[in-house]
Amino acid sequence: MAVSAASMAGVFAERLGPDRLIIDPGALSTAAIDGHTPRFIVRPASIDHVAAVLAIAWDENLAVVPRGAGTALGLGAPPSRVDVVLDLTGLDHVLEDNPDDLTVSVEAGMTAGGLAERLAGRRQWLPMDPPGWRRRTLGGMIATNAAGPLRARYGALRDLVLGVRFVQADGVVTWGGARVVKSVTGYDVPKLMVGALGTLGVLCELTLRLQPMPEAEQTWLAPFTSVEAAQAFAARVVNSPLQPMRLELLNEAALRVCQAPSAPFGVAVAIGSAHPAVREQGEALAVLASGEKVRVAAVGEDLWTRYDAALTPAEDEVILRIGSLPSRLADTVEVIERAFPAAERAVLITGCASLGSLRVAITGADVETVKQLVEEMRGLTADFGGAVVVESAPTNVRAAFDPWGPVEPAALGLMRAIKQEFDARGVLNPGRFVGGL
Amino acid sequence: MPLTPAIVQELLRILGADGLVTTPEGRMVYEADMHTFYKGAPDAVALPRTTAQVQAVVKLCRRESLAVVPRGSGTGLIGGAMAPKGGVMVSVNRMDGVLEVDLPNRCAVVQPGLINLWLTKAIGDRGYFFAPDPSSQMVSSIGGNVATNAGGPHCLKYGVTTNHVLGLEIVTGTGNLVRVGGKVVDGPGYDLTGVVVGSEGTFGIVTAITVRVLHTPEAVKTALATFASITEASEAVSEIIASGIVPAALEMLDAAIISAINASIGKIYPDAADAVLLIELDGPRAEVEAQAERVAIICRRHGAVSVSVAADEMERALLWKGRKEAAGAVGRLTSSYLLQDAVVPRSKLPQIMREMKAIAARHRVIIANVFHAGDGNLHPLICYDDRSAEDLERAKQANEELLAACIALGGSVTGEHGVGLDKAKNLPLQYGEADLNFMFRLRRVFDPAGLMNPDKLLPSHPACGEGFRPKRPVLPAGAWI
Repeated sequence: MAVSAASMAGVFAERLGPDRLIIDPGALSTAAIDGHTPRFIVRPASIDHVAAVLAIAWDENLAVVPRGAGTALGLGAPPSRVDVVLDLTGLDHVLEDNPDDLTVSVEAGMTAGGLAERLAGRRQWLPMDPPGWRRRTLGGMIATNAAGPLRARYGALRDLVLGVRFVQADGVVTWGGARVVKSVTGYDVPKLMVGALGTLGVLCELTLRLQPMPEAEQTWLAPFTSVEAAQAFAARVVNSPLQPMRLELLNEAALRVCQAPSAPFGVAVAIGSAHPAVREQGEALAVLASGEKVRVAAVGEDLWTRYDAALTPAEDEVILRIGSLPSRLADTVEVIERAFPAAERAVLITGCASLGSLRVAITGADVETVKQLVEEMRGLTADFGGAVVVESAPTNVRAAFDPWGPVEPAALGLMRAIKQEFDARGVLNPGRFVGGL
Repeated sequence: MPLTPAIVQELLRILGADGLVTTPEGRMVYEADMHTFYKGAPDAVALPRTTAQVQAVVKLCRRESLAVVPRGSGTGLIGGAMAPKGGVMVSVNRMDGVLEVDLPNRCAVVQPGLINLWLTKAIGDRGYFFAPDPSSQMVSSIGGNVATNAGGPHCLKYGVTTNHVLGLEIVTGTGNLVRVGGKVVDGPGYDLTGVVVGSEGTFGIVTAITVRVLHTPEAVKTALATFASITEASEAVSEIIASGIVPAALEMLDAAIISAINASIGKIYPDAADAVLLIELDGPRAEVEAQAERVAIICRRHGAVSVSVAADEMERALLWKGRKEAAGAVGRLTSSYLLQDAVVPRSKLPQIMREMKAIAARHRVIIANVFHAGDGNLHPLICYDDRSAEDLERAKQANEELLAACIALGGSVTGEHGVGLDKAKNLPLQYGEADLNFMFRLRRVFDPAGLMNPDKLLPSHPACGEGFRPKRPVLPAGAWI
């Protein structure tokens, strides 16, 4: 039955305490998601609060948008409706810390920067560095499957999330996975939640696998006049016993914003290991580079600090995540560069060369140009199973075309069935995920 | 539903005369996996060669409401690839091809029946390998590895099967052919590849697998550290991990296993040891050298009697031979054993080894240990005499107590073998009703009729049944009306 906003506010306030509910019109309009102003902002302090909010939302058929730091709201299609913004930043506690096991359990609203600070003293880390990661919440990074250059060595978040406690759309608190580094007990529910954009449940608690930080680290930059040569060099590195932490391709514009030596293309290789091993791998790297007739130059680790700062998403930017292949980097990059002639170039191309996963940041392009590029890229990558996802963009861009791109019909059918099973009422992030889920 | 002659005819039409086993003696071969305690022969065994055949068989079974039990090499340890309710077994052994090797993109596409080790053999000379290495890798199929999300000694550094699977082609319980994931990472949508891996054939039958392959490391160093006490060896393991070293493998063998191996395979490990650690480091040469020194120091600090490094490939192979053939050697020790696969946090190893000793003494059983110490994945073999019901009873009690102790330390019921029929009853130790219900509903999405590998993975528990409603927060009903 329909319930008035005022009485509903009373329920939220009663369940969570009045200071955890925001209904001030100014605040609500600031929290608008793609033009949808929420009726409530709720700031839970515990998983029980989250459960209470979702139980009410389920019964009253309210649409809920879970929000961490709010830095990734430009991912996905504009929602079909928004009633409640669930601000999870209050869930920011460490629940269980096991330094000797290299695991930690935290609440999902904790920021990656907050966790890093806690871990740095013991030389451990969660090696996940999407630009702007310090401000981002861990839950948000997992829900959006965020990744950065460190992925070259440490894998994606799917490889680092061991256990999750989440609240289903109807308010049921659920746990999946384990607190130990190895477990095959039951289905791998955490995998289902990584990258699901909170459409199957709201992540509240996370058990994470940590990694030891390498004893020493050094980055080298190899300059190239063509993307083909950069690709060939990256292929040599991949096809060698070297174990880079990062193997990042950067185009000229990206090198510039990172204040790196200028070149049409660069491949930045970070090696982390014991001191003598870093030195030896650096020597091996120089040999590989000479095969492409270039010289690698050692650059300071602050390259990655500048990279992080320069590539942190801005609101008006369009950021594309392109799933290509290491062997197809050159043609993928050429299509992008062709779409934006040099004169007006404000296109930053970066990405993990050993995975073929590229990130394209475009400033000041009109919707039509972006749309054409995405369509062309989807055409190009389709024949090898690639994908182009709009990782972040202003509302009008994401409203103009499908920001996710096509999913194989049979697979999409299964995804629909899963969403239908766990959120038949479309409470969680309705309309934002693939296929309008 | 019974397997009528008409259905047999239809199966023969799909599979051809040499593609179906229906004789009692033929079917008996398939009545158990390596957990021979559980037996159940299928009514027929399909031996498909193509994905289309798999799909046709599943569709037929769906129409006729027949259980479908997928099987690879049958080397599982959990009562997984057997048919407690009869039905049609789909054995994928004949789908054993390498469909594509794409080294520039570090991946390969294989059929599910391909033997694990064959993949590494196919790409090894080009400097690549497939990392998941269950001890059964000479005979187990990659499809089976995917079904159980198999691990192995080197998963400590490289991760288990799921970390190496990029994409799958799967015939779901509805008979639909679905392709998920692929060579390219980060396709949009739910990570269906991730949930299908480890689903033990309860979602469907995997018919093609895209796997990641890795470049062979530059250097490998294998060391054997001998300890006079297994507690000290456990402390050494915990400190190696805590120090930030990630060995490729870190395996523990206790006195009972050592003597069994030495008696059956030849003297490989020091007889007098209470425990040995088999430690393998790999990676860039200088890194391996530096870590080997630190590992040796840690071992000695925890009372290692000796630390020796394999001088050449032959010595190294010998050290591993003992480890890989340990399970077979146990026959010297006991006629039968219960095998556990529980996991504890790595820092809790010394504690669980002490508790295990107490449990063994209390129930008067021998517990032999050979396990993946580095990730806390225990493989206690609880020995019993199968001619004595009382012996078995004591072994069972010790087994349950040990499992409970592992869970109490924050552990997991199974680290790499899987659940199957054997451990389904133990899931409630680790998961609550809401968690089990979530899994049950997930299964129903892939297999609405409940025909895929029935009775496996999930327990018979109200939460895993239709109509169950997990507890929701209690709301102040009517408060705002």
